[in-house]
Amino acid sequence: MLKTIIHKELSIYFRNLNSIFLPLIFFFLIISIFPLVLGPEKTLFDKIIPGIIWITAILTTLLTSNNFFKDDFNNGIIETYLTSDASIELLFFLKIVSCWIFTCLPIIIFIPLVSVLFDIPYENSIVLLITLIIGTPILISVGIFGSALTLGLSKNNILIPVIIVPFYIPVLIFSASAIESVAIGLSYEMQIYVLLAFLFLILPIMPYLLKYTLRLSINN
Amino acid sequence: MEISVNSATCFKNNNTIFSDMNISLKKGEIAMITGPNGSGKTTLIRSLSGIQNLESGNILINNKDISDRNSNFTEKVLYIGHKNSLNGDMTVFENLEYLGALDLSSKANYGDKIKAALDYFDIYKYKDYLVSDLSEGNKKKTSLARIIMSEKKLWMLDEPLSFLDDKSSDILIKLILKNQKADGITIVSSHYDFSDKLNNVKHIKM
Repeated sequence: MLKTIIHKELSIYFRNLNSIFLPLIFFFLIISIFPLVLGPEKTLFDKIIPGIIWITAILTTLLTSNNFFKDDFNNGIIETYLTSDASIELLFFLKIVSCWIFTCLPIIIFIPLVSVLFDIPYENSIVLLITLIIGTPILISVGIFGSALTLGLSKNNILIPVIIVPFYIPVLIFSASAIESVAIGLSYEMQIYVLLAFLFLILPIMPYLLKYTLRLSINN
Repeated sequence: MEISVNSATCFKNNNTIFSDMNISLKKGEIAMITGPNGSGKTTLIRSLSGIQNLESGNILINNKDISDRNSNFTEKVLYIGHKNSLNGDMTVFENLEYLGALDLSSKANYGDKIKAALDYFDIYKYKDYLVSDLSEGNKKKTSLARIIMSEKKLWMLDEPLSFLDDKSSDILIKLILKNQKADGITIVSSHYDFSDKLNNVKHIKM
């Protein structure tokens, strides 16, 4: 079962390469807008560029996870998931992981290039990379949860960000704090451990939460 | 194998879909849910397969309440909804591989079972077609091919004859009769009554 499902989940993304390249293009477009708006003042830009990268990552995950279950809902696969005797929690976990691999991992891979383009110091860039590696799976999981929660509702496009962005705030606070700490020469390990704790708390419970939420959503 | 519905009531968006419903089916029986559009046939069949929650009453499969987390009723139920459960971005063969992976009873001789299922409905020639390129009838046949792959004996089929031509409808009816002979239970919802082609049918009018 596992091999077939992993193969199918990945092949759907590979077959539709837009789903890989469009988030990446969106990420670069948004990041390149900021220098145009803020002007060429380097000191201001050095200070806020990690924050800009994080906010852009949030926008990208919001867009990609917004309608995560919409197709499965419209073609009835959700009902098959809920009546399946296979481990649906494992399937949902694999879906979260594949969504992260194809939407967030390409962005993370390009962070060294972004760091060079925006002249981010090496140490800051490493911490930015670490926070994104730990933080983006949390963002994707919460985004997918929002998609499951609002599945039965029509016109839910704005509702999902309104519900889930507050849950992004702790991740954003600790990521920004880690980056700021390294910028002023302080230790940043504590913030990384807190982010790891969020990750290890959310990832194992999310598949169970998704199963429960999907059942509630399609009952309406 | 048996399934019983006891005083089941279901509300949806504050509307009563059915109330105080009692059904009892034993092995080798067929139930046909009929009624006009919007009468609640799909909601009833979704309740029987554990997707839709009841407001009151219960549904027992082999004397175990399906709302009980430990009832493991999904090991016995094959639910095929009217929406086909097919991913348009995958081929016919890939869809059946995926759906087969979600049905643990169909795991032995996987590839052979898919071929046999597609042959049965005469759609093997479409195995490499994307589902989005198929006609509605062939999508329905692909969805129904899961019946051949599965070893489960309690079938819940929602509008299985919609979009099917006469030949394919006869194939499905033969399958339902075969399941009856094998002591299985079939629950079918349909907007028109085809019970004259089946034996020992219990009617549930909505």
